[in-house]
Parts: sequence; C-alpha cells; structure tokens
Amino acid sequence: MIEIKNIMKQFQNETAIEYKDMTFETGKSYMLLGASGCGKSTLLNMIAGILTPTKGSIVIDGVETSKQSQRERDKFRIQNIGYIFQDFKLLNDMTVMDNINILRLENVDTSNAVQLLKNLGIEEKKNSKIKHLSGGQKQRVAIVRALVKKPDIILADEPTGNLNFAIGEQVIKELVEISQGKTLIAVTHDERLAKYFDEVIDMNEMTDGRRDLYGEEVK
Amino acid sequence: MLRFALKNMAIKFVQNILIALSIVISAGIAVLAYNVANQVNDGITKNAGYYSVIVGPSGSKTQLAMNSMYFTEEPLGTIPYSVVIDLMKDGTKVNSVIPFAMADNYNGYGVVGTTTAFLNGKTVDKGALFDDSTTMQAVVGYNIAKYNHLNVGDVIRTGHSVNSSELHAQGITVVGILEESHSAYDNIVFTQLRTLWEMHEHGGQHEEEHVGEEEHEHMQGTVCAVLINAKNPVYAMQLVSEYDGKIVTTEDGDSYTLQAIEPMEIVRDVLDEADDTKYIVFVLCGVIMLMNIMIISIITLLNTYHSAKEISLMRLIGISMKKINLLYIIQNGIIGFVSTGFAFALSKVCLLLMNDYVASMGVVLNIAAVYPLEIVILLGVFLLSVIPTFIWTFCMSKKDGIGE
Repeated sequence: MIEIKNIMKQFQNETAIEYKDMTFETGKSYMLLGASGCGKSTLLNMIAGILTPTKGSIVIDGVETSKQSQRERDKFRIQNIGYIFQDFKLLNDMTVMDNINILRLENVDTSNAVQLLKNLGIEEKKNSKIKHLSGGQKQRVAIVRALVKKPDIILADEPTGNLNFAIGEQVIKELVEISQGKTLIAVTHDERLAKYFDEVIDMNEMTDGRRDLYGEEVK
Repeated sequence: MLRFALKNMAIKFVQNILIALSIVISAGIAVLAYNVANQVNDGITKNAGYYSVIVGPSGSKTQLAMNSMYFTEEPLGTIPYSVVIDLMKDGTKVNSVIPFAMADNYNGYGVVGTTTAFLNGKTVDKGALFDDSTTMQAVVGYNIAKYNHLNVGDVIRTGHSVNSSELHAQGITVVGILEESHSAYDNIVFTQLRTLWEMHEHGGQHEEEHVGEEEHEHMQGTVCAVLINAKNPVYAMQLVSEYDGKIVTTEDGDSYTLQAIEPMEIVRDVLDEADDTKYIVFVLCGVIMLMNIMIISIITLLNTYHSAKEISLMRLIGISMKKINLLYIIQNGIIGFVSTGFAFALSKVCLLLMNDYVASMGVVLNIAAVYPLEIVILLGVFLLSVIPTFIWTFCMSKKDGIGE
C-alpha cells in the first residue's frame, strides 16, 4: 500500500504543488488523469524516489521512503518499483536485451526477459537496436524492463503519450493484464483508456495545481 | 559489468579509437625521446671510456675523437709511426697502444688500417680476424659483406683515398666477416696497418725485406691516430701533457705537431654542447606532452559529459552512482591501459627503426632498455585517462538528487 500524506513539492523555479492525501492499495490499478502541470508526473517521481517531497511523507508498505537517502531510495526503486517512462528512457545504440540486462549491474535477475518479450510479441526483436524499433515496440521494451524484476509496484508515466490511440490502447491492455496482482499507477490524459483500470483519480481535484510564490496558478 | 563496459565502448568505437590514438602518440613520443636521449648519452660515453688517451695530429680535438672512435669525420692528417713505437716502449704507463689509420675506400665504405687489438670485443661471424704478422687480409663489417655479397676468400680492391674511385692494383683477401653490431663497425673494412702502407708505398721498408725482425722496429710509415689504454688516470693525464703540442721530427726531416686528448673529456664536451639541443628537444617533448595531457583530459571528460544522458538514464532506472562510476572507470581504464601498452610498443618499434641511424654514432640502442622514468610517464598517462572520469563521476555521486 502506498500512502501519500500531506505532501508538497517546491521546485527550483520556486513554483510549488500541494497534494491531498491519497492511498493506493496493493493489487489494484489506478489511472491518474489530469491537465498538464497539475502534478501527475511529479507524484509518480516522488513515489519512485526520483524526486524528494519538500514536505509531507510517502509511505510504501510501511517504509517512509520520503525520509530515505537517495541511495536508499535508489535501492528501494531497483528492488520494488518498475517505472515506465514517457520517453522510454532506453539506450538507443544498444540492443533490446542490453537495455534490459543493464539491470544486472544492480544484480537484478533478468532471466524471464525473453518470456516477457514473447508475451508482448517482440521476442524476435530482442537483438535489435532500440533505434531500429517503432514507438510501440520501444514502449513494450520499456514495459519489459520495468516488469522483468517482478516489482510490487508499477509506475507508468504517459505510457501511450508517444503512440497513436490504437497502439496505445493495446499497450495499456497488455500492461494492465501483465500487472495483475501488483499495484499499477499509470498517468495518462486520455480518458478513453479509463475503462481498463480499477480506479481513476482526477488529479485536478487532488492538487492545487502548480502555483507560484504568491499562490497564483502557473499555466 | 566488464561485458557491459565493453559493449558500451564498442558503441563509441570511433570516439574511443581517437582517444586511444591521442594517448598512444603522446605517450609514445615522450617515452621514445627520453629512452633515446639516455641511451645515446650512455652509449657515447661508454664508447669513449674504452680508450683513455688518443694521440694524433694537431687540429680539432672533436674531429680526432670522432674519426678514431666512430669513423665519422675525415682524419685530421697523419703522424709518424715512431710515436707508436715510443708509446709502446713506455710499458709502465700503458696497457695497450693501437695504431689507427683511415685511408682508401671500398665501394664508398671506409678502410681502417690497425691491429687485431682494435677489434677486441667484436665477434667474427664468418672466418677469422686477420693475421697481424702478414698483410693484404681484411675483416669486413656485416653490412659491407651483406650488400656486396662478400664471402670469406673473396678478394676486394680498394680505392686510392677515402673518396677516390681509382682502384689499387693489389687486392685484399677477405678473411673474416664481423657479426652485425648495429654500429659503425658494420660499415668499415679493417685490415693490417701495413696493408695500407704497402698499397700507398708508405714507409721505406716492406715486410718481405724484414722477415724475422721485430715489427715495431721496422715500420716507419704514418698513422692517423694512436689509441692508448693507460694503466691509470694519472698516467693518462701525464701522457696527455707529454704528447699534447709535442713536435716530432722524422729522419727525413719532416716535422709533425702532435695533440693528445682524453676522449671521455671531448665526448663530455660534445654532449654538454649538445645538451642545449637536448634540452630544447626535452622542452618540445614536454610541450607536446602537456598539450596531449590537456587533450586526453578534455577528450576523456567530454566523453563522460557526452555520456551524461545515459548516466541520468541509468540513475532513473535505479543504477547506483557507485556502479556507474565503476562502469566508466573500467571503460576509461581499459582505453588507458591498452593505449599505454601500445605507446610502449610504439616506442620500441621506433627504437628499432632508429637503430641504424644512431649506429652511425657508434651507439647500439638496446630495445629492451627501460628507464624508470618511462614507467612513470606511462603510469601518469594511464592515470590521466582515469582520474578526470573518477573526479567527475565522484562529484556527481555527491549530489543526492536525480531529477531536482
């Protein structure tokens, strides 16, 4: 279970976002919906330990990760969280398998990578370089890299952002299906995909949006 | 980790090759310059140290030393053989007295008239040394035999002077071929001193007229120099003061002004004069090295900066800075290690190629010779290829946040 308590994130450009308390239950899939700048990606990054909340706490399965050092959060992320980035975050000159096996640097077992690639229909691309793949194929590789370590929590930031609706819908269906029994939190702005998730959270209502020092909303 | 590092290096193949080339060239030049400078210095000094005094005609001291030890310059002139006889008589001060005359040429190669004592320490590859008690025999240097297809038993005809193509009527029989020494000895024909006299009809008396008599008593020809191995340095100094400036008059009434030198001193003077040039070379090498240090550091650092995107990507997916640090140190360490290895090999190959050129100074470059400072230079270059990356990644690892 992930508990978000009274958190606020202040950025270096002195804008800030405050969040209402939220709870994400284990084994359920959540879709975070909302306008650009309302703080959806920031929330995912704070849950993943990439960003640190300026105040408040994030508790994951009883561990207050927001109080941990960067090293501890890195370790927590590599062990427990599968993160699918909007722009894939893949090494373009390396092969699909290299991009997955990079996790071995942190002693992650990637032995089920080929099976996952097979499940997502891109097994034959395992030795292809990322730069030679289509957007949909890259997204599937990013999903496999996130899931290969069998994480308890899967975070997906705009996983369909770079895909057309048909391919995006297919990717979401596969992602939800493959994430059965895990906590899935996906950020998207496409309401048509809401039907695939257990719960949809309107982030416009959960934050006060991005505001400047004087409390004015930043567009 | 190593596998991933190698894959990552393969992706940036061209970039890595350029870095490696830069390291190989800079370190190679530095190591080569240092090695050659030291070996030439040591070699020349060692050669000069073999003889304690050289007596010859008055004139340039350097020319006398270079001609009689390295066969480079032309002889200053001649002095009477009686000087050799006088020196030989003084057995209390000298261990050996070796006459040296340089005249004639064989296909452009110098011909030296001397005794077998001059070839002490040289190895004969084929045949044997000539017989001091007879004439018209020659031992030829390795290159002469090789390029003129000479074998033991062949008869060679020499030209009338160092440069002349007019040949003597008499031939000299090759009795031995010296082993290759990568020195000036490879390019010289050695024969008995009396052979040269007979060819030029120097001296009033010929061997065949004096069979059975003591050799030194009957030779009245001339020599270009006398190489002396004195029994101790004090005797050497005494000989120099005794013979330097001495005027010798022959029975024919010809007068000769002698000079006596300590070759070690002359060579030291030459080396001291050459030191300015040597320092200029060292300074230039230092500048090249400094520029390359900057290039290596900047390229390595740029390489790491260019990798900033993949570093941030790895950080995002949870790879610790410690592992990333190690990954880049391995990558740059491999490049540095392989490059310094190749730099060392390059310096040795260049040393091999330079050997023939340096041999003209009578110095044989030892390919296996390694000076401690060479190791220090190579180690320094290796560290240079790793340290900038280490510092940069270390600084990055000190920053706690990733995407702040």
